Amino acid sequence: MGFTINAGLLDAMVLSIVQRNDTYGYEITQYLRKAVDISESTLYPVLRRLQKGDMLETYDKEYMGRNRRYYRLTVQGKTSLEEYREEWRNHKKKIDSILMDEGAEENEQA
Amino acid sequence: MNKLEFLTKLRNCLEKGGMNSDDINDALTYYEEVFLDAGFGKEEETAASMGSPEEVAVNILRESGIEISGPEAFDPQPAPAFAAGPMPGPMPQYQYPYQGAPVQQKSGNWGLKIFLAVITFPIWLPILIAVVSVLFALIVTAFSIVFAFVVAGIALIIGGIAAVFEVPSIGLMLLGAGLILTGLVLLLCKPVLNKAIPAMGRGIKSVCNWIGGLFKKGGKVNE
Repeated sequence: MGFTINAGLLDAMVLSIVQRNDTYGYEITQYLRKAVDISESTLYPVLRRLQKGDMLETYDKEYMGRNRRYYRLTVQGKTSLEEYREEWRNHKKKIDSILMDEGAEENEQA
Repeated sequence: MNKLEFLTKLRNCLEKGGMNSDDINDALTYYEEVFLDAGFGKEEETAASMGSPEEVAVNILRESGIEISGPEAFDPQPAPAFAAGPMPGPMPQYQYPYQGAPVQQKSGNWGLKIFLAVITFPIWLPILIAVVSVLFALIVTAFSIVFAFVVAGIALIIGGIAAVFEVPSIGLMLLGAGLILTGLVLLLCKPVLNKAIPAMGRGIKSVCNWIGGLFKKGGKVNE
């Protein structure tokens, strides 16, 4: 569909996926694909950005004779995720008020 | 495009973008893992789903604050980089030992020469000794023959002089024979000896020079 997902939203979704349980790049992409059309190469800069912003940290875990890089949420990442969620709620409400014809009418009527 | 091609191209692009090696390795670790997680039989498919390595590189570089105009920025570089070699990276490093190689090769030949000389030592040394000995023996023989004739001539002259007083006819004959013999030896041998002895000397000398030349030649080439 025609809706674009901006960087902030993508960051928020990745943080949310990692919060559920520690996971690795490929699995994060698979999760995201349920909602958005994203490739592994789109995800890497996101992970890198979150890592540099101290929201995610990595550790290596052995899997089938090789190391797999797992991502874990930091305290800062958790705080940031809560902020994103709050922001999204507000954003969603505003969009819905127009797009779904919710609330806005009530405001006008009130 | 398979995994290796994709990762190699990606690395090249990131290096050209001036990314530091830690960040490049981090990115490559991620992308290699993506290929492994996607499964062995899906390399082509996975590479296709991620887009071209150039595009991927542009996104990574942008994220780390390096602005690249677009994937095409990498395109003009590979061809001249390999043809003319202005790339400051691995190419000169590759050329440097190559330029030094011919000199090393020559000194290698020189070393090989010595090695062969040492290895064949049991063969060539006896031959050399034999050649020098024969030449030396010929000189000694020539001297001996001449010496023998001269001694014989002198002996005949002395004997003739002594015999003249007892039996004049025999004495004169002996004296005459001695003089003829000495004269012949001196006549015949003088030009021969004049040429033969220096010739044999030169022969020995030239053999020695030839052997010395082998070593000298190698030494000059090495310089």
